Formats: sequence, structure tokens, C-alpha cells
Amino acid sequence: MSFNWTTFVIQLVSFGLLFWFLQRKAFGPLLGIMEKRRQAIQEQLDSASNNRSDAERLIEEQKQALQQARKEAYDIIEQAKSTGSKQAEDIVIAARNESNRLKEDAVRDIETEKNKAVASLKAQVSGLSVLIASKIIEKQVDEQTQKQLVDEYLQEVGNKS
Amino acid sequence: MDHLAPKVHIGGITFDLAAILMIVITTAIVMILASMATRNLSVDKPGKLQNFMEWVVEFVSSIIGMATDFKRGKVYIGLGLTLIIYIFIGNLLGLPFGIITEAHGQVHFLGLPLDMDGHEEAHFSWWKSPTADAAVTMALALTVIALSHIQGFRQNRKHYLKHYLQPWPVFLPINLIETAAKPLTLGLRLYGNIFAGEVMIGVILNMGFYGIPALVIWQGFSTFVGAIQAFVFTMLTMVYIGQASIHEEDH
Repeated sequence: MSFNWTTFVIQLVSFGLLFWFLQRKAFGPLLGIMEKRRQAIQEQLDSASNNRSDAERLIEEQKQALQQARKEAYDIIEQAKSTGSKQAEDIVIAARNESNRLKEDAVRDIETEKNKAVASLKAQVSGLSVLIASKIIEKQVDEQTQKQLVDEYLQEVGNKS
Repeated sequence: MDHLAPKVHIGGITFDLAAILMIVITTAIVMILASMATRNLSVDKPGKLQNFMEWVVEFVSSIIGMATDFKRGKVYIGLGLTLIIYIFIGNLLGLPFGIITEAHGQVHFLGLPLDMDGHEEAHFSWWKSPTADAAVTMALALTVIALSHIQGFRQNRKHYLKHYLQPWPVFLPINLIETAAKPLTLGLRLYGNIFAGEVMIGVILNMGFYGIPALVIWQGFSTFVGAIQAFVFTMLTMVYIGQASIHEEDH
């Protein structure tokens, strides 16, 4: 083994130069880039976690909104159902009242018409009978007697009918 | 015949040309690799080399995290990266091939006579791992050990000075020996592993064709050893710096 001091000194100097060169030209920038990348990744992780919490919050809001909408829809349907059935009842009741009223009117009309017909028939029958009687018995019965007879007769008819 | 290191003498100073060449080549390769890896830096679309370099950064960060408190050891990440890449590439460089020149009679390099060690003929070995030279590994080890002492003295003075007298003042000589042994073990461990690997490759090459399977296995193993030694050196650097300069509050 030989120890050469010149080699020793040259190695010292060249290692110093190499270290200086590398630190300045290579490792400084490289470490800077690595630090930058570390920061970029950290930022992305942060923003990802922010996004996720935002998304979770939005989903929660959406869920609540959906729940709300469902409840409102249910209420509206219920209300419509009750309104509909009430209206139907009202309509039925109104229709029943109307029909009752119509029926009563009709009955009353019929009654009136019948009475009218009876009265007019009475009048015609009395006139006709006078005519017939006068034709049959002509001058034998005066009008006063005649009328009396007819009334009696009609009374009988009236009792029978 | 042994391979000689090509040496020249200038004004009484000996220059080991092979070691200098390998230091320069290794430094250049590390510089080029790091520059290429960090040329088109991108936050969201890193290229293959950038990915690789980021993996190395993560690896060294985990070493620092294992050896000491990462938050306070963060400033040493550049040192750890430089060490681990330089030593790893240096360890691997000697493996794939060698460059041997034969010299018959005196030869010159850039007009300077090469030291032939008194022989007429010599084989010069130009290509080896820079870390297979004790001067190189000791320079690295002393650099980081000196750094650990300086940082300990600057940032953690009270505990740094007190630890020489732990557990009792009578332990001062033992603590001083430990302090002296740290750079020696750190540098010589690396040197020994890589140098032994190269010696072994030389031995296997002498076996001729029969040595090819052994060479393949040994080169694979040497790659493994080179990676492990780079890791160990960086790890120990961080441990020593952490021990000296970062005082843990809980003890």
C-alpha cells in the first residue's frame, strides 16, 4: 500500500468542486422540484377532500329536498282526495235536492191539471146534459127545473166518483 | 510481473497519473450524469433519469432518517448524495476492464519521465477504481470526519466537548483514540474492499480461460460490494455527523 499525498490533495479538491457543482446545478433544483411536487400533491389532496365534503353536503341537501318534495306531494294528493270526495258529496246532495224539487213540482202540476180537467169536465158535462135534456124533453121542462134535475144528478155522480 | 502505477515527479512532488486520471474521469461522469438527470426537471412529468435521481434522493433521505433526525439532518442530503454517487461509480469503474501499457526502456508522459521503479521494462496500469487508492478514500473519510467535528463544535458545542470526557474524565484517552480511529476505519474499509476486489480480478485473470466463470461471478459480487460499500460509507458519514452535531433532547 502506497500513500500518495498528491492524490490525497487532488481528491480533496476535486471532491470539493464536485460537491459544489452538484449542489448548485443538480441537487438544489432537484430538491426544489421535489418539494414543489410535494406541495402540489398536498394541495390536490386538500382540494379533493374539500370536494368530497362539499359533495357530501350537497347530497345531504338533495336528500332533504327530495324528502320535502315527497311530503308536499303526498299532502297535495291527500288534500285533492278530500276535496274531491267532498265535492262529489256536494254534487250528489245538490242533485238529490234538485230532483226532489222537480218531483214535487211535477206532482203539484199534475194535481193542478187534474183539478182543472175535472172542473172543465164538470162544466162541459153540465152544458152537454142540459143540451141533451133539452133535446129530449124540449118544452116540457122549463129551464129552472131542468137545472135542478141536473144538479141532483151530478151530485149523485160526484158521490159515486 | 507486477503492474506499476504510472508516476511522474515534478519538483520533488510525486503525481500518480492513474489515480489522477481516474479521479477526473469519475468526477466527470458524476457531473454529466447529474446534469443529464436534472436537465429537464418537471414537477408532473419526470423523465427516466429524473425518476432515478429522485429515487436516489429518497434513498439518501432514508439513510439520513435512519442515522439521525431527518429534519435536522436534511442539510446534509447534498453531501450524502454526492458521496454515494461518487463512491458507487468509482467502485464500479475498475470492474469492466483494465488498461495496461508495456514500457521497454524509459518512457515519457507529456515530456516527463515515468517512474520505472529501477527496472528496464515495466507494465503500467492506467485504469482502476479511484476508491482502490488509500489516498482517495482517506481524503473522503477525512473530509466528512472533519465536517462532523466542525459541525459538532459549531452547533452543539457543549455536548460535543463534553462527550470527550464521557462517562468519566479518565476516559479521555480512549475517546481520543476513538476519534482518531473513525476516519481510519471509514477510509480503509472502503479502500480494502475495493482494492481486494481488484486484486482478486487480477488473480482470476491469470487463470486464463478457466477463470471466465469465476470472473463473471466475482464481477457480479464486486458490483454488489461496490454498492454496499457506497451505502456503508454514506451511512457512517451520517451517523458520525449526527452523533457529533445533532444532540437528541431525550437523553
